[in-house]
Amino acid sequence: MERSLDTLRHYLDVTAQNIKMAFMTIVEYPSNIAGWLISNPLQFIMGFAIIKFVVESFGEINGWNYGQLAFLYGLSVISHALSMIFFVQGWFMGWYVIEGDFDRYLTRPLGVLYQFFFTNINIFGITDLIPGIIVFIYGCITSGVQISFMFVIRVLIMLIGATLIRGGIYILIGSTSFHTRSAVDFGQYTQEIMDKTTMYPISMYPESMQFVLTYLIPIGWVSFYPVSSLLGIDNGISGGTATALITLAVGLLMMWLAGAYFNSGLKKYESAGN
Amino acid sequence: MKYRQVRRTGSAAGFEEIRMKKYLFIIKTQIIKSLTYEFNVYGNILMQTIIMITSAYFWRALYKGQGSVNGVDTDSMLIYVIISSALSVLLITNVERRIGGSVEKGTVATDMIKPISLFGMFFAEDIGSITALIFQNMLPIIIIGSLMIKVPVMADIRDLPLFVISVIESFLINWLIAALFGMTAFTAVNINALIQVKKHLIRLLSGSIIPIWFFPESVANVLYALPFVYIYQLPLSIYIGRGTRAEYLAQMRIQFLWLVILSALFFVVHDRVTRKVMVQGG
Repeated sequence: MERSLDTLRHYLDVTAQNIKMAFMTIVEYPSNIAGWLISNPLQFIMGFAIIKFVVESFGEINGWNYGQLAFLYGLSVISHALSMIFFVQGWFMGWYVIEGDFDRYLTRPLGVLYQFFFTNINIFGITDLIPGIIVFIYGCITSGVQISFMFVIRVLIMLIGATLIRGGIYILIGSTSFHTRSAVDFGQYTQEIMDKTTMYPISMYPESMQFVLTYLIPIGWVSFYPVSSLLGIDNGISGGTATALITLAVGLLMMWLAGAYFNSGLKKYESAGN
Repeated sequence: MKYRQVRRTGSAAGFEEIRMKKYLFIIKTQIIKSLTYEFNVYGNILMQTIIMITSAYFWRALYKGQGSVNGVDTDSMLIYVIISSALSVLLITNVERRIGGSVEKGTVATDMIKPISLFGMFFAEDIGSITALIFQNMLPIIIIGSLMIKVPVMADIRDLPLFVISVIESFLINWLIAALFGMTAFTAVNINALIQVKKHLIRLLSGSIIPIWFFPESVANVLYALPFVYIYQLPLSIYIGRGTRAEYLAQMRIQFLWLVILSALFFVVHDRVTRKVMVQGG
C-alpha cells in the first residue's frame, strides 16, 4: 500500500514536470502558437456553422433539432479536445516505431505507454477545448436542458469515458505499426470518421452500421448514447444516469484492451538499428 | 552515352532533354518508393472506403423523404461523394511538409546546392507519388464505390474535356497553395500549425465534404471569390451536372484567373525567400 502510494506520488511528480516542460517547448516557436490559436478554433467554428447550414437546408436530422445538435457537437468537441491533449501521440506511433524512438522510453524506469503520452503532452489541445465549451454552453441554452448537480456529474463522468474511448482507439490503431512496421497518418482519417459519427446522431445511419458503432467499435458511446440520455431522447439502448456510467466502463475497457495490445506489440519492437 | 552526344552537338534541345530527365528520374524514384510500403496502401484504401461509405449513408439519411435539395437529388449527391473521394487522392501534396522538414532539420542547405530547382524537385516528387496513388488508391476507390454505393456515371459525357481541364487546374491550384504555405517555413521555421490551417480551409471551404450550395447565399458568394471552391466543387459540379455549360465556363475563367494569380505569387515569394535562407545549427 505504502509502496504503491509512493509510486503514484512519483508519477504525479513526473507528470507535473512534464507539463512544465511542455509549456516551455510551446513558447519555442511563437508563430506556432499563433497558428494553433487560429487553426483549431477555425476548424470547429466552421464545423459548427456547417451543421447550421445542413439543418437549414434539410430540416431536423432524424428528429434532432438545431439546439440538440449543438449540444451533441459541443460535448463531442470537448472530448475530442481532451483526447488531443492526452492521447494525440497515438496518431504518430508509427513514426516512433520506424525511427526507433521507443528506445529512450524503454531504458527509463517508468511505464512506456505513460512516458509515450506524457512526455509529449499536448498543451495546445486547449485551443480545441475552448470552442467546444462555447458551443456546449450555447447548446445547453438552445436545447433548454435542466442543469442540476446530477447533470454536471453525469456530463463529467461521460466526458472521462468518451476521452478514454477515443484514446483507446488511437492507441489500438497506432499499435498496429508494431506489426506492420510502417507509419500511416491515420490521424486525419480517424478524425474524418469520428466527425461524421460523433457530431451527428448515429441513429440516422442504417442498423448494421449502428450495431458496429455500438458493439464492435464503440464510437457510439463517445457522444450519441450519453448525450441522448442527457437530453432525454430515446436511443433504444440505454437511458438515464446509468448511461454515463456505461460510457465510463466502455472507456476503461477500451483503454485496457489498447494497453494490452500495445504491450504485446512492444514485445515485437526491435528498434531502428544503425 | 546520350549525354556525350548532346555535349558534342551542344544543341539547346539536348540540354532541355537532360533537364527533363532529372525530373523524370525523381518521378520514377518516388513511384518506386510509394510501392514499397504495401500496408500503407491497404490501410489507406480501407480508411478511405469507410469514410466514403459513411458519407454516402450520411447523405442518404439527410435526403430521406426529400426529392431534390438545392437542385441536387440523392443519386447525384452519392456520385459527388464517390468522385470527391477519388479526387482527394489527386490532391495529396507533400511539398509543404518537405519544405517544413528540410528547413527545420537544416537539410535545406544541401537541398539547394543540388543541381536541380528546389521546388521543381518537390513538384516532381508529388507527381511521382500521385502517379502511384492513382493506381493504388484512386482506381480501387472508384471500383469499391461503384460496387457498394453507385456507379458514378458522368451526367453529360460531352463535358468530359471541361472536367479534365478543371481537374488539372485544381491540382495545380492546390499544389501552389500548399507550396505557398510551405514557403512560410523559411521565416516561421516551424509550420505544423500553419499546415493544419491550410488543411482545414481546404477541407471545409472547398466543398469536398459539404458542397457550398448548401451554405447561405451571402457566405457562398464570398467563397466563390476565394480559390478553394475551384479545387473540389467546380470539377465535381461539372461531373454531376449541376449547372449549365455557360456557368461552368464562367467559373473556369475564375479558376484560371486564380491559377495565374497563385503562380505569380509563387514566383515572387519563391525569389524572396530562397535568397535569405536560415539554417538551424548549420
